[in-house]
Amino acid sequence: MKPLPSTSSKTPVKFRMPTSENLVPIRLDIEVGGQRFKDAFTWNISDPDSEVSVFAKRTQKDLKLPLAFATQIAQSIQTQQTEFRSYKGQEMLTGEKIVPIKLDLRVNRTLIKDQFLWDLNNFDSDPEEFSKTFCNDLGIEDPEVGPAVAFAIREQLYEIAIQSVATARESRNAKKGRRGEYSSISSRSTGAALDLMKLFSNRYSGVRKRKEWDVFEPMVDMLSNEEVAALESMVERKPR
Amino acid sequence: MASLEPPAAVTPPSSKPNLLPLPSPTIITPSAAALAAVAPTTSSSSPATLSVATPLPTPSDAELVHIPSYSRWFSLDGISECEIRCLPEFFDSRSPSRNPRAYKYIRDSIIKQFRRNPSSKITFTEVRKTLAADVISIRRVFDFLDAWGLINYSPAALSKPLKWEEKDSKTSQHAADSPAGPSSDSTPPVRETTKWLCGSCKSVCSIACFASDKCDLTLCARCFVRGNYRVGLSSSDFRRVEISDEMKTDWTEKETMQLLEAVMHYGDDWKKVAQHVGGRSEKDCITHFIKLPMGEKLAGSAEFGSGINKLNQMKDDNSSNSSSSGKRLCLSPLADASNPIMAQAAFLSALAGTAVAEAAAQAAVTAVSKVGHGEANAHFRSLHGVQGLQNASITSNGSNKLKSSEEARSGVNTMPEEKVNVEEELRTVAMVQMKHIQEKIIHFEEIDSQIDKEWKQMEQMRDILFYDQLNLLKHERSIRKTGQQAAEGTRAG
Repeated sequence: MKPLPSTSSKTPVKFRMPTSENLVPIRLDIEVGGQRFKDAFTWNISDPDSEVSVFAKRTQKDLKLPLAFATQIAQSIQTQQTEFRSYKGQEMLTGEKIVPIKLDLRVNRTLIKDQFLWDLNNFDSDPEEFSKTFCNDLGIEDPEVGPAVAFAIREQLYEIAIQSVATARESRNAKKGRRGEYSSISSRSTGAALDLMKLFSNRYSGVRKRKEWDVFEPMVDMLSNEEVAALESMVERKPR
Repeated sequence: MASLEPPAAVTPPSSKPNLLPLPSPTIITPSAAALAAVAPTTSSSSPATLSVATPLPTPSDAELVHIPSYSRWFSLDGISECEIRCLPEFFDSRSPSRNPRAYKYIRDSIIKQFRRNPSSKITFTEVRKTLAADVISIRRVFDFLDAWGLINYSPAALSKPLKWEEKDSKTSQHAADSPAGPSSDSTPPVRETTKWLCGSCKSVCSIACFASDKCDLTLCARCFVRGNYRVGLSSSDFRRVEISDEMKTDWTEKETMQLLEAVMHYGDDWKKVAQHVGGRSEKDCITHFIKLPMGEKLAGSAEFGSGINKLNQMKDDNSSNSSSSGKRLCLSPLADASNPIMAQAAFLSALAGTAVAEAAAQAAVTAVSKVGHGEANAHFRSLHGVQGLQNASITSNGSNKLKSSEEARSGVNTMPEEKVNVEEELRTVAMVQMKHIQEKIIHFEEIDSQIDKEWKQMEQMRDILFYDQLNLLKHERSIRKTGQQAAEGTRAG
C-alpha cells in the first residue's frame, strides 16, 4: 500500500526550476588581492555562453575592479551554469510539494524575516512577481531589496529541486534493487509534503491556527548605519 | 507624414560608442548621416528645424530631458517599432521570461532610475542590482537604451566615487595623516588648460587626478590614494577628473593645421593622414579630429556656406566630394577650388572663426566692388548656385581672406546678430526643402489615385469580359440544345 495520498502525481518530470522561467540563481563571492566582491543575481540559462564573458567584463568595468576579477567572475558563473546543466537531463519527483520558504536577509539597511509556503508543483510561479508585490505591499523603498528577495526564493527552490532529483535517483535505484525499502525512502523524501497533507486534511478549514500567525508574518526592519557597520564587521571577522 | 526626417533616422548610430562625449556648447551628434538638433522630449512640438549650435541649457529644470533627435520615436507609454526591431527576443515569445511586459518593466525602470539623476551616468551594474529580472535581459535593454541615447546622454558626467574607493582612501588617510604634515602646505598647482600638475608631488597628472574645490588643490591619483593632502580635507572633498590621452601629448596648432590639411586631401585614408601629420598614430589623428570643435566655428559663419553644406550633406547631391564625414564637407566645397591659394584661404577662414570671417566678408565686399573680381564670382557661382548674396560673400572671403583677416581681428562684436541672421536663412532654406518634398508627396499621391482609377477600370473590364463569356456560353448551349432537339425531331418524325 502506498503511503502517499492518491492525489499526488508521481510521474517524474524533467529537471527544471519550478518557476515560470528557467532562471538560475548565481552567487558570486570572489576575493582577489584583498578585495572581496560578493554578488547574487539571476541568470537565464538559455543564453549563449558568450554572454558570460561580456557580463563579467561589464561588471568589472562598471565597478572599477582590477582586471583579474573579470576572469574570476566569468569562471564562477560558468561553473554554476554547468552544475545546473548537469542536472538537466535528469528527472525529479514532483509529488504534492508544498514547501516552506524562509526569508532571512539583510539588504543595505533593510532586514527581512519571513516564512511562507510555496507550491513546487506550480511551474507557473514567479519569484520576481512575488518580490515586486512584497516590496510594494510593505512599502520598501530600497530598490535593491526586490531582486534580493527574488533571488533568495529562487535559491531555495533550486536547492529543493536538486534534492528532489537526488531522491528520484535514489528511488529509481531502490526500485531496481530492493523493493522493500522503496516505501520507506519515498516516505522519507516526501516527508515535508506529507506533514502538510496531514495538516490540511485534519482541518475543516484551510485557515491557520492563530498561534502560528506570527511565524508566518513578514517582518521588515530598518537598521541604522552603525548597526549595519557592526553587522558587516561581524560577518567579515567570522571566516577569519 | 510630411515631416522632415533625416533619412537614416532609424538605423542606430553604430559609431557612437567609440566617441567621447560632445564638447559642451555644440550638439552635433557623432552620426554622420543624421543631423541632430537636441529636442527636449517633454516639450517638443516643432518640426525638425535645422537649429545650429544652440547652447545646451543647464538641467536646472527637473522635467527637461535631453535625448538625441534620432530617438524621437521613444515614449514611455508604449513600445515602438524600433524597439521591436532591435530587441526581437522580447517579442517573439520564444522564451517565457522575455515578453513585452517584462521588456517594458525593465526599460521603464532603467529610464526612471537614470532620470532621477540625469547629470550622472548610470552604470549597468547599478541598474541590474535594482531589477528583479535576469541580468542578460537587463543588459540587452541597457545597451539598447545607451546606444540610442535615451540614457547617459550627457557630456562627461563625473561618476560618483564607489564605496570601496572611499573606504580605501579613508583608511589610507587615517594611516597617512601624520606623515602628511610636511607635504600639507603645498602650493596650489599650476593649472594650465592642457596639463595638470599635482600639488604635492609636482608630477604631471596623466590618467586621472583629483581636484578639490574647497581649497583649490589638485592631486594626482597616487597622492590622493596615499592621503597626501591637508588635515582639514577629507576624501569626499575631492572630485575625480579624468584626463584623456589627448592631454598627455598636446596637439600644437601646427599639428592641427597639418591634420586638417591632410584630412582635406586624403579624406578617409587615415594612414596617409597620419603620415602627413607626422608623429601621430592613426588612432590619435582620428580621435583628435573628432574632438576638434569644427561645428562651432563653421556653424555660425555668416557666409551660410556651412548651412548649405549641411543641406548638401543631407541631400547628398551638390557636394563635389563624397560626403563621408560631415565636418569634412563643411571644409571641402570652399577648399576644393582649383586654386591652391583658395584652398588655403578657405582653411584659414575655417580656423579663424565666425566673427572674424564675418567681418572679413564685410570688408572684402567693399573691396571686391572696387576691384571688380568678376571671374572669381563666376567661378564660385558654379559651385554654389543658391543665393547671390551668399556667393558674393564666399568669393570675397576666398579672395581677400588673407588681407582682411588682420584688419578684422581688431575687435568685431556682431556675433549674436549674425547668428540670428544665419538661423533665419537656414530656416528659409529648410522651408524651401520642405515645400519641395511636400510637392513631391502630392505628386505621388496623385499618381497613386490615378493608379487606383485605372485598377478599377481594369476590374470593370474584367467583369464585362466575364459577362460576355457567360453569355457566349449560354448561347452556345442553347444553340446546341435546339440543334439536338431539331435532330431528335427529324429522327422521330
